Amino acid sequence: MESLVLSKNKLPELINKISSEHILYGPTEENNYSSFKQILNFDEMNLSYLLSRVSPKSILFKQTETLFKFIPGRKGSVKSSEIPEEKSVIFAIRPCDARSFSILDGVFNGDYEDPFYISKRKNTVLIGLTCNKPEQNCFCTTFDDSPGSSKNLDILLTELNNNYLVEVVTEKGNNLLKNMRSLLKEASKEEIQERKEIEEHAISTINRKMNLEGIVPKLDKMFDHELWHNTAFKCIGCGICTFLCPTCHCFDMQDEGTLKEGARIRVWDSCMYPEYTHHASGHNPRPARMNRVRNRVYHKFSYFPKNEDVTACTGCARCIDYCPVNIDIIDVIDKVGAILIE
Amino acid sequence: MVDQKLLVEEVKKIVSQEDVKYVIGYKKGTYGFAISPAFAYSPEYVDKFIFNPLCKKNLAVYPILEEKLPLKKGEKADTRKIGVIVKGCDSRALNQIIQEKGQKRENLVIIGIPCTGVIDQKKIISKFPNVTDYTDIEEKNGNYKISINGEVHNIPKEELLADFCTSCVAPNPVIYDILIGDEVEPWEPQEHNNLKELNEKTIEEKWAYWEEHFQRCIRCYACREACPLCYCKECMADMLTPQWIRRSVNLSENTAWNIMRAYHLAGRCVGCGECESVCPVNIPLMELNKQIENDVKEMFNYTAGMDVDEKPLFGMFRPDDPEEFIL
Amino acid sequence: MNKNPYMPILATISSIKLESTGERPIKTFKMVLQDENARKNFSFLPGQFVMVSIFGTGESTFAISSSPTQKDYIEVSVLKYGKNTQALHQADVGDTVGLRGPYGNSFDVKGWEGKNILFIGGGIGQAPLRSVINYTLDNRDKYKNIDIIYGARTTKDLCYKDEFAEMKQRDDVQTHLSIDVEEEGWDEFVGFVPANLKRLNPSPKNTIALTCGPPIMIKFVLQNLEELGFTEEQIFTTLEMRMKCGIGICGRCNIGNTYVCIDGPVFSLKQLKKIEGDM
Repeated sequence: MESLVLSKNKLPELINKISSEHILYGPTEENNYSSFKQILNFDEMNLSYLLSRVSPKSILFKQTETLFKFIPGRKGSVKSSEIPEEKSVIFAIRPCDARSFSILDGVFNGDYEDPFYISKRKNTVLIGLTCNKPEQNCFCTTFDDSPGSSKNLDILLTELNNNYLVEVVTEKGNNLLKNMRSLLKEASKEEIQERKEIEEHAISTINRKMNLEGIVPKLDKMFDHELWHNTAFKCIGCGICTFLCPTCHCFDMQDEGTLKEGARIRVWDSCMYPEYTHHASGHNPRPARMNRVRNRVYHKFSYFPKNEDVTACTGCARCIDYCPVNIDIIDVIDKVGAILIE
Repeated sequence: MVDQKLLVEEVKKIVSQEDVKYVIGYKKGTYGFAISPAFAYSPEYVDKFIFNPLCKKNLAVYPILEEKLPLKKGEKADTRKIGVIVKGCDSRALNQIIQEKGQKRENLVIIGIPCTGVIDQKKIISKFPNVTDYTDIEEKNGNYKISINGEVHNIPKEELLADFCTSCVAPNPVIYDILIGDEVEPWEPQEHNNLKELNEKTIEEKWAYWEEHFQRCIRCYACREACPLCYCKECMADMLTPQWIRRSVNLSENTAWNIMRAYHLAGRCVGCGECESVCPVNIPLMELNKQIENDVKEMFNYTAGMDVDEKPLFGMFRPDDPEEFIL
Repeated sequence: MNKNPYMPILATISSIKLESTGERPIKTFKMVLQDENARKNFSFLPGQFVMVSIFGTGESTFAISSSPTQKDYIEVSVLKYGKNTQALHQADVGDTVGLRGPYGNSFDVKGWEGKNILFIGGGIGQAPLRSVINYTLDNRDKYKNIDIIYGARTTKDLCYKDEFAEMKQRDDVQTHLSIDVEEEGWDEFVGFVPANLKRLNPSPKNTIALTCGPPIMIKFVLQNLEELGFTEEQIFTTLEMRMKCGIGICGRCNIGNTYVCIDGPVFSLKQLKKIEGDM
């Protein structure tokens, strides 16, 4: 891995250069929160927020995606399907959000390949930004991750006192920077040390930790435990946790359009809604909030580890921060751990 | 300020009643300034109950959320009452639900707490980011006195007060079985936020304003789920035949959803602000609700949820009802 | 090669048969793929399912009810229930539909050669069993006794009446029909399917039992089969869950960590007992 430095005043030039050749997504501020949007000019970005409200999964797994177009009706036919091919860059993605893509890869490239996600994933360069100041519910370190981890990134930037330390992690990252080399110079030992200290300091400020030891076998014995009733009692079924979660990926498919032309679209759905599993016959395998809350926890902390060998949680804490009724996933898993079962 | 001891004592008595299933109140959350709804089935649990200016959540949403799953053979329906702690606006929600026959008055034990306004979580978190715990929070002489790590901070009330509280017309519960503490002096309701300026804009400007907000909507429907008055068995947003709103998330469908939501609450919204507080993308939904509330007041001289014996606005007809808005 | 797994291929409805005329009618649609190459390359096994689209209305999951031995077309039997099935019921011969699939696992018909096969179906649940029935009848010499227990609420709700009448004429297959409530002119069993099973008392010896029907029926059929001495490895069923993608991505058809669309829909009772989840 190559370590370079970029002086802070050169960042706009770097960004504008990237955006001239790629579709560039970066964090912007709107209405007192951060969201990833396409950036045409450096000034549109706002790097002062830690996390975007909606996770950047929305770039690779769009909330509304056209799967194909058709001519509707009984003499209808398929018109076209376009798999996105454009080259893009996500700038200032946080290490935990980058990790969510590594988790989602298994879903979208399982028995069948989802060409929409996979194509965008292949054509997207991830430029991360170290979290110098994690927030109060951050718990990425639970998953062997770190606020300064470059594991799931192509390039990682860390803000130093005067410069950005630029670590080129993958060939994809290297290629992106090829004609921007003039903006960068070799990092000094001191700068590499400074970056290390920043990461260590950031790790030391993370207060929260989830104890995952033995959780998978424990959950196997707890399917009918009253904990799920008790947890679901205060759940209002709002679905915010699923919409903001970087690893939630469930979707609905619908036909929309006019009488002349239409499209089959897919759109984010939420397992917290009763309609989600409701059969046309009226039968619902998950009729109560208890079933739905339990399924959400099991999906992330039991089914995912069993099927994909990874826990479907990054420690971003969006679900904790924005749950209106304080269902705190760390607290839930801690309770699972604390319950004694024969 | 509510006497914590008195609250716990009174709620314990209610939970102990044989005809009460549980009481819904507030307890401290798992981190920072978080508050969690709490469900007490036994008097011991009530020791966790608190009430402070952070207790914003409208608990009136819960009795209606109670799931009545099919009974097993020989099982009898549990008809015991549910106790619920309510502030002024929350009590209006219960009134409204009872008027609409969504709940039966006799199935509820209503524990009223007079309220002088609640703190907006978003505001306090931006003032004190990364605070892992607080020891005490109370309102005193126009300030919030907040003790964090042994340090006391006095923050002017208006800096943290939830916006919708300034336009509150019922700080004291309007329906209750027991009132904890003394009634508070109501204040002169103010026009909500920038509603006045918004109203001075042209139609085009207003449209642009709302377009900018609605385009951000992620259609999670948290506004609906958090609202104590959004309790239709099947929401029009979920219907497939006919499909009133398409699932695509775009300006057109988002606008349809947000406007339909607001209109379905015309004459029903009690101004508790839950929808706006939970909105993950900060859409100022209360500006819509408050405008409709103002219109309803002006046209029908009606305020939702004030009197349990009144009929719902759209459940009654007066020969002199205005009709100029009917095209 | 179609790289977009969400994009259906086109098929024409070549015939429609009204199977039952009860409160919720059932129609069987015969569909022929329009593209000749696609038609040649399309192959499936009994138990698999397809996603059928009416463009502009939507897509739904159906078990293939015809047998792979019936070439050049597939059939699905559709109970009129929701938005998509209503639209299908309004379709005419010659109309175009979209098809995706076949998806899911299948019944191990090859592995069961030399055995007795017992089918126990209820209502529309007979559709996936019909695929296996037709397959085994088309390979009749490879299987021993074939018994079909089938029931519906009323005679109007009984599906595949003509086919049952044909089978009655054959001596190499036994049918045992039932309806839930007495009707004039009905000379077969009256009562629920699990009760008919118990009454017939089939021997588990060298026999594979396949069942599909409403959840409550399946529950009691499984119980009764075990009481009759059938082992968990001898009993198979096929499950239904709400699906959207059919290919293991959209996330809604899971029962525990099992995805009905890719791990199922066919399960042995042994597998079923290991799954803990909401059904």
